[in-house]
Amino acid sequence: MKPFTYIAPGSVKEAVAALHENGGTARVLAGGTDLLLEWRRPGVRMPAVVVDISRIESLRRISLEGPDILLGPLATHGELMRSGVIRSGAAILASAASTIGSPQIRNRGTIGGNIMNGAPCADTVPPLIALGATVTLSSADGTRECHLSGFFNKPYATIATGEELLTQVRFPALLPGTKASFVKLARRNALSISRLSVAAVVSVDDSGLITDARIVPGAAHSVWKRTMEAENLLIGKAPSATLFAEAGRVVSAVVIKETGRRWSTEYKEPVIAALVRRTLEKCFTDNDGHPS
Amino acid sequence: MNVTVALSFTLNGKPQELDVPPNMTLLTLLREEIGLTGTKRGCDVGECGACTVLLDGRAVNSCLVLAPQVAGREVVTVEGLAPLGTLRPLQEAFLDHGAVQCGFCTPGMLMSAKDLLDHTSEPSTKEIREAIAGNLCRCTGYQQIVEAIEDAARRKNTAR
Repeated sequence: MKPFTYIAPGSVKEAVAALHENGGTARVLAGGTDLLLEWRRPGVRMPAVVVDISRIESLRRISLEGPDILLGPLATHGELMRSGVIRSGAAILASAASTIGSPQIRNRGTIGGNIMNGAPCADTVPPLIALGATVTLSSADGTRECHLSGFFNKPYATIATGEELLTQVRFPALLPGTKASFVKLARRNALSISRLSVAAVVSVDDSGLITDARIVPGAAHSVWKRTMEAENLLIGKAPSATLFAEAGRVVSAVVIKETGRRWSTEYKEPVIAALVRRTLEKCFTDNDGHPS
Repeated sequence: MNVTVALSFTLNGKPQELDVPPNMTLLTLLREEIGLTGTKRGCDVGECGACTVLLDGRAVNSCLVLAPQVAGREVVTVEGLAPLGTLRPLQEAFLDHGAVQCGFCTPGMLMSAKDLLDHTSEPSTKEIREAIAGNLCRCTGYQQIVEAIEDAARRKNTAR
């Protein structure tokens, strides 16, 4: 790892001031599970300045505020997995966090890092988009809040400028009657990177009809997006194996249409369809949504 | 550019104060500056778990922690398990069950097991397997390691 100037601010104010002073060329360090690997790769362009935000205690919170769950960017995957607030209000996020890396990685890796690194395989992002998450960016000029669904430009690139710090993630806790699940396909059980994943959040009314659906495939598109075509297919209908299989085929067709047919299509086409079907089925058998 | 930064933290219960280059990892600090070589350097990319230490009571890969990031925090290495030369029940259980073969993964396995046992009083076999999912053993003595941790949990509960 090449040398750099190290700054460890004690507050958000100091952190954004440091980012501003360095004209957006500094790099923000949180848990370090991605960056410490990147910085040791041969030939990598090392940032001249590293702003370590890990000492800013106010960025660690996991809390419920009215109908919303608020997360500080330093909340680790392990803390999300174990948090009562997350397990009761957004179990789908706890489940997704539990599939990341190993216990050691989950004890260091943060939700802020997972979002800001912008890797298409980031496992917390599909559930967060399905939950309707927004993110708050802070800079010396003030703050702005954006929808996570519009936050990514391309793999490893977000709309945040180099002077902005992610300071909060906010989403509504799941309401009664809301079902959710996350399914990940990877090569092995531990320390595995998502090949494909699917997050789904489905609301059902008293008569059992689907009133709202959000389906977000992970590691499939260049940037994450909800598959509205499949969501619209589900709304107003009763859950059934046939319906879920059809939704799977629709998601698969949408992904293939965007990425184009390539060597992996023969594999991906049936696999995406099956993963979506399984994720929707799991909403009704092994629900990670509202406990009621 | 700051060549070194002042760092103070607690290591195995004792305060440490030293100057470190900011681009040094916790693993290098422990092994090469402080001389505690119980923590092993395996893959150096956070996959093998040989470098596992406890940071504020939780297992982490010390190869993925920047040394200055432990400022004000508490680090426990395998040397901290038996500071007076007397083995802990967890370490005794590893010996009794033949859970140590070449021994390279053992410090990391012990630290992951300690995190589990400190937070879960009666872990299931599944929980034990998940707790050591980030620790590779190339002698593949996993079964003995799992049995040792199960036994250590029992010994801990009996002693309580």
